[in-house]
Amino acid sequence: MMVAVSLISLVDDDQSVRESLPGLLMQLGYVVRAFAAADEFLASDAVEQTRCLILDVAISGMSGPELQQELLHRGVRIPIIFITAQSNETLRARLLAQGAVDFLVKPFSDTILLEALDKALRES
Amino acid sequence: MKDLNASLGTMEPTTACSEFGIAQVGAMIGGLIHRWRPLSIVLTNLREFDIHQRETARATPFHPALAQQLTEIASIAIQRTRSEDALKKSERFFAQAQRLSSTGSFCWHVATNEITWSEELYRIFEFDRAARVTLQQIATRVHPEDAPLVQTMFDRARCDGIDLDYEHRLQMPDRSVKYLRVVANGTRDQDGRLEYIGAVQDVTQRRLSEEALNTLRSELAHVARVTSLSALTASIAHEVNQPLLGITMNASTCLRILTADPPNLELARETMGRAIRDCQRASDVISRLRALFAKKRCTTELVDLSEATREVIALLNSELQRRGAMLHLDLVDDLPPVKGDRVQLQQVILNLLLNAAEAMTTIDDRPRQLTIRTVRDGRERVRLSVQDAGVGLEPQDVDRLFDAFYTTKSSGMGIGLSVSRSIIECHDGLLWAEANKGPGATFSFSLPRAPESTPRDGHSSSSGKPALTERAVGHS
Repeated sequence: MMVAVSLISLVDDDQSVRESLPGLLMQLGYVVRAFAAADEFLASDAVEQTRCLILDVAISGMSGPELQQELLHRGVRIPIIFITAQSNETLRARLLAQGAVDFLVKPFSDTILLEALDKALRES
Repeated sequence: MKDLNASLGTMEPTTACSEFGIAQVGAMIGGLIHRWRPLSIVLTNLREFDIHQRETARATPFHPALAQQLTEIASIAIQRTRSEDALKKSERFFAQAQRLSSTGSFCWHVATNEITWSEELYRIFEFDRAARVTLQQIATRVHPEDAPLVQTMFDRARCDGIDLDYEHRLQMPDRSVKYLRVVANGTRDQDGRLEYIGAVQDVTQRRLSEEALNTLRSELAHVARVTSLSALTASIAHEVNQPLLGITMNASTCLRILTADPPNLELARETMGRAIRDCQRASDVISRLRALFAKKRCTTELVDLSEATREVIALLNSELQRRGAMLHLDLVDDLPPVKGDRVQLQQVILNLLLNAAEAMTTIDDRPRQLTIRTVRDGRERVRLSVQDAGVGLEPQDVDRLFDAFYTTKSSGMGIGLSVSRSIIECHDGLLWAEANKGPGATFSFSLPRAPESTPRDGHSSSSGKPALTERAVGHS
C-alpha cells in the first residue's frame, strides 16, 4: 500500500502548524495526516501506517513525551521528530535518549525539517 | 441716643473699659452726685468717661436723672464692648479655623446674585478683599475644562435648588491649579426666595498627595507586572513561535509552488493568505503584551471583565498548560461593565491565575482543575473568582496573604497579592480568599458595575479631574 509507505503524521494542537506544515510536506509529495491531540491519533488507523510522527511536546491532554511512552508501551515503533515552541535542553537530551529522531525548536526552517524527515524515513 | 449708637459702631475695644464693671461705674457716678457737686458730664468717647465740672452749682433734680441716664448708657456701652469683644474673638477663631482648614464660606442670594464671602474665600480665590464678588468674577478663575461643570451646577442650583456637592479646579493668574470642593445647602427664606449657604474647601494638597500616591501605585503595579512577565516568558515565546513557524512553513511552501512548472497560483495564493494570517496572529500577541506590560499612567474606561479575562487567557494559556492546569472558563457574556483601568485589572486576573496554577504544581492525586468565573453579584456589582484544586490555604496564612512581601513560595517577591488588593481597592472593590469545601482555594474580587449612563465619562479621581456627586434637596 503506497499510502502506508509514505504516510507522515503530525500531532499538534496549534491550527497554524496543522495547516502550514502538512502544506509544505504535501508540496514535496508526502501524504500527511494532522491530529490535534494524542488520543485522536491513537484512536485512528494512522498508528499502523505512519512512517514518521512529527509530534509537538506540549499538546493539551496527553503530552508528546507521554504519547512516545504509550507507543513504546504498545510496541509501536515509529520514528518521532519532536517539535516544540520552548527550547529545553534537559528534555531534548531525555527524548533523544529514549529514541526520538530529532528535537526541533519552533520556528525551524524547511531545510531543518526535511533533514530530520530524511533521517527518520531512513530509520523506519 | 442715635448719635451715640453711631459712635459705638466705631469704638475700639479696650481692656480698661471691659474690665470696668457696670456696678463700679454706677457707684462712681452716684458718689459724685452725693457730694452735691453740680456736674455737667460730657461723654467724649466711650473708651473712657471724662467728667468735667464746668462751674460750681447746686444739685438740681436734673442731676440724679442725668446720673441715671449716664449709668444706663455706660452699662450699654460696656455690655456692647464686651459683646463686641466676644464677637471679635469668635471671628478671630472662625477666621483662624477657616485658614487652618483652608475652608471658606459663602452665602449666595440667588435672585439678586448677592454674594457674601468669608475672608478665607478671598484668599483661596486670590481676590482683592475690597472688591465686591460677582459670579462673573468667579468664572474668570474657574479652570476652562471645568467651566461647563460649574455652569451646570449654577444653572441647576438656580432652577432646582438642589444641594450642591462637587469638585472643580481653579486656574490662577499664574497658571497654577487649585482643587476645590464645594458643598452648599439650598434653603428658602420666609418669602420663598432661594439662598445658598455653603463651604468651599481648597483640597489641592490632598489632591496632589493622592496623585503622587496614584503614581507610586502605578509604578509598584508595573514592577509587579514585570515580575510576572518573567513567569510568562516561556508562554510568550510559545505564543509567538507558533505563528512564526506557520509563517516559515507557508512561505517555504509558496516558494516551492512558484518554482514548479506550471506554478499552481491558486494554491500559492491560499498559502500566502495563511502566512499573512499567522503574521497577524504574532502581531496580536505582541500588541497584547505591550498593552499589558507597557508603563503607563492609570486610565479609566469601561471594562468588560469577561472580555478582559479572555485576553489574559490568550497570553497565559500555554503557561497554564505547561503547568498541567486544566482550565475551565465560566464567563458571562453580557456582564455589566465596570469602570477602571483595564491593564491593572488584567494584572490582578493574571496574578490570581498564576498563583492558582502555582498552588497546583505539586498536586498529582487529583485533576489540576482551574476554574475562572465571572458573575453578576447582586444588582450593583460584578464578581470574578479563580478557583483552584491546589494546596489550599493554611489558617495562619489567610490573614497575611495580602501583606506586601509575605510569600509562601520559594520564588517571588510577595507583592503580587498585595498589589492586587491595592488595585482592587482603588477601584472601590474587594479582594478576598477563601478555602474551598473540597481541596484548594478560591480568590475572588467584586467591583461595582459602572453606572448605566456616565455623562462625564473619563473624569475620575485618578485622572486628576474632579468628581461630581449631587443630591436632590428637599425644601422643608
